[in-house]
Amino acid sequence: MTAPHPDGHVIVCDLGFGDAGKGTVVDHLCRRQPAGRPYRAVVRHNGGAQAAHNVVTDDGQHHTFAQFGSGTLAGVPTHLSRFALVDPLALAAEARHLAGLGVPDPFALLTVDRRALLTTPYHAAANRLREQRRGAARHGSCGLGIGETAHYALQYPADAPTAGDCTTPGRLRHLLDLLRARLAEQLGLTPEDLPAPPPADCTAAFTAFAARVRLTDPGHLGRLLRSGPVVFEGAQGVLLDEHHGFHPYTTWSTTTFDNAETLLAEEGAARAALRLGVLRTYTTRHGAGPLPTHDKDLTVPEHHNGTGPWQGPFRIGHFDTVAHRYALAAAGGADALALTHLDIPAHHRDLRIAETYELDGTPCTPSPAVTPATSPPRPRSPTPCSAPGPVGSPTPAPTRRPGPRRSGSASPSPSCSSPTARRPVRNASAGPPPGALPSTP
Amino acid sequence: MGSGTWSTDVYDAAATYRAGTGASAFAYSDSATRGARSTWQAHPTLDPSGLTTRESRDSDEHPDSLAVAVLFDVTGSMQTVPRVLQTKLPELFGLLLRKGYTEHPQILFGAVGDATCDRVPLQLGQFESDNRMDDDLGNILLEGGGGGQMTESYELAMYAMARHTALDCVERRGRKGYLFLIGDELPYGKVKAREVAAVLGETIPEDIPVPVILAELQRLYHVYFILPAGTAYAGSAEVLGTWRKLLGQHVIELDDLDAVCETIALTIGLGEEAIDLQEGLDDLTDLGSGSVATVGKALGGLARRTTGVAVPGPSLLDATDRAATGTTRL
Repeated sequence: MTAPHPDGHVIVCDLGFGDAGKGTVVDHLCRRQPAGRPYRAVVRHNGGAQAAHNVVTDDGQHHTFAQFGSGTLAGVPTHLSRFALVDPLALAAEARHLAGLGVPDPFALLTVDRRALLTTPYHAAANRLREQRRGAARHGSCGLGIGETAHYALQYPADAPTAGDCTTPGRLRHLLDLLRARLAEQLGLTPEDLPAPPPADCTAAFTAFAARVRLTDPGHLGRLLRSGPVVFEGAQGVLLDEHHGFHPYTTWSTTTFDNAETLLAEEGAARAALRLGVLRTYTTRHGAGPLPTHDKDLTVPEHHNGTGPWQGPFRIGHFDTVAHRYALAAAGGADALALTHLDIPAHHRDLRIAETYELDGTPCTPSPAVTPATSPPRPRSPTPCSAPGPVGSPTPAPTRRPGPRRSGSASPSPSCSSPTARRPVRNASAGPPPGALPSTP
Repeated sequence: MGSGTWSTDVYDAAATYRAGTGASAFAYSDSATRGARSTWQAHPTLDPSGLTTRESRDSDEHPDSLAVAVLFDVTGSMQTVPRVLQTKLPELFGLLLRKGYTEHPQILFGAVGDATCDRVPLQLGQFESDNRMDDDLGNILLEGGGGGQMTESYELAMYAMARHTALDCVERRGRKGYLFLIGDELPYGKVKAREVAAVLGETIPEDIPVPVILAELQRLYHVYFILPAGTAYAGSAEVLGTWRKLLGQHVIELDDLDAVCETIALTIGLGEEAIDLQEGLDDLTDLGSGSVATVGKALGGLARRTTGVAVPGPSLLDATDRAATGTTRL
């Protein structure tokens, strides 16, 4: 374990499928400032507008943070690093909501790395059309174009619009025209058929974004880090990670501590932050894909996650020790854990803890693919607590057994030690380049 | 995860971004000027009191530094200048770097007021090669006073820049830096010893006439005066005539303040002989700038001049002063 850095930087990552409570934890950290060493910024190091981190303050204010950092209501500024994806239209809507909560000028609390990729209405439109065409095989996308943004940037690195391009309307317009035409062509449509505003309108809005929000050059983050402690706020969860998640139900993003560690290392502060993993007392998932401990009979209330038009229902399961242990290993370990929703188990006695998976009667321990991978885990029976745990008492296992679906593409995946499900797949290191989504978007 | 409920209406978004004045970018000014005027003071990072030196130095990252200083009048009608500059900064950098006018610009921002009546008549940032200069801009106090007597203490700024800056481009390569004064009024006739004592906290034996301090300044910098349209004395024969007498062709009349960054960038491009005027205007067209005609008109008179090489010379500071300073660079 690495000792917490004296400078007090913290990286907050979710060790589940997301929704564990990163927003609450970041807000809490920002309110409980180290004496005389206030957090200088919350830095976003992955994901984009699809993040949804709920913060409810003691006086009842509620905001679902997407691009603004969850320290905003505590007055801590946000920096969107080069790993963040920036959606200026969604950002404007979020700023309006924050202003309505009494944040005097949300844009003044924001800096954006010039190199951050832009998510546009064209990406979102293509994302939704493709997801619709998948029919029943939907990936559980949020429909905001995040995967499309990452995919397009890999296909056309020189033409993918960035936040910095918003300062040059001529160039931006050219890039948006190109983007719209290419995405439409991939979908067999004319550019005008893509359900999105015309590039001229987007250019105007994005230019206004660049005039209002401070864009920063590469030296900015280093300066922030040297001027005081910083909280890195991760988006999504390790079990959705592009390299470690259950494909194709993954996000096109590195959801582990890695991006934050890369940013720190670039500024000469390698391993200089406390790695804080976040978990709920039970395991949840929003969107399609396996949730091994899912139990549809659980009646835990969920105030901030309903059925999304693109993601589908929010599902609740028992605490999945196996999956979280796997996530912890995949993320390379953590220095500390934060556990949220501690009040729930006391009122919901039907919550259990799954300690092992069984595969054809044999205990199965998935581990991150670091050597030629074997097979994805097939979590048949999330067994109930084999020893009395802090929540609940032994009961029959949750009945639903969603086996992870695979796209068939050769990509790193959780491996299982079970000998019965062995199937050759390529080595993790021979997988797609960093940032590649293993499945076809 | 995933809200998916945000409005993505481009018109709403554009309106949201355009709402407000951007005043919050000048949070220091906005909060500092909330109290009584007698309490106003420059942000510590910009305060010239006890000024040793502002350095533009080479580094591994920036081996061929070029000093660029932009000093603007922050009184009365000119308060919008820093706000425009901040929103246009990316374009200034973009032009200088992407178009290859110069590879390693280091930019200092400063503000000029009136030493006879302002609380904060002079503010000077550091030479920065990244967007720390943005912080300096954000910390500038927009005093907004000025006496309306058509004079500001430009000469005091010239004094500080002439005697309290040290530039590697001059000392190592004999290449002058660039200094832009943006304003619409006249300098006082002399650098006054008592104002130097009050503002910088140092003693000089006697007042220094403006032509003398300007000559010193021009050993280090190509000095330009930019007079934007729409300001109090724009087009004034007296203001223009006085500055022309001091700076010759280096007086630039600018129809539209929005074009100030492009104008500065192209002036440097011309000075560095990286472009001729038409090439510079073509670059602006490439970048989608709406200021091509304005800049073309403003710089028409400059296009044919040649650049001078500075007289290489020792720093104007003594060794102990120089040793005591040091800008931290990335």
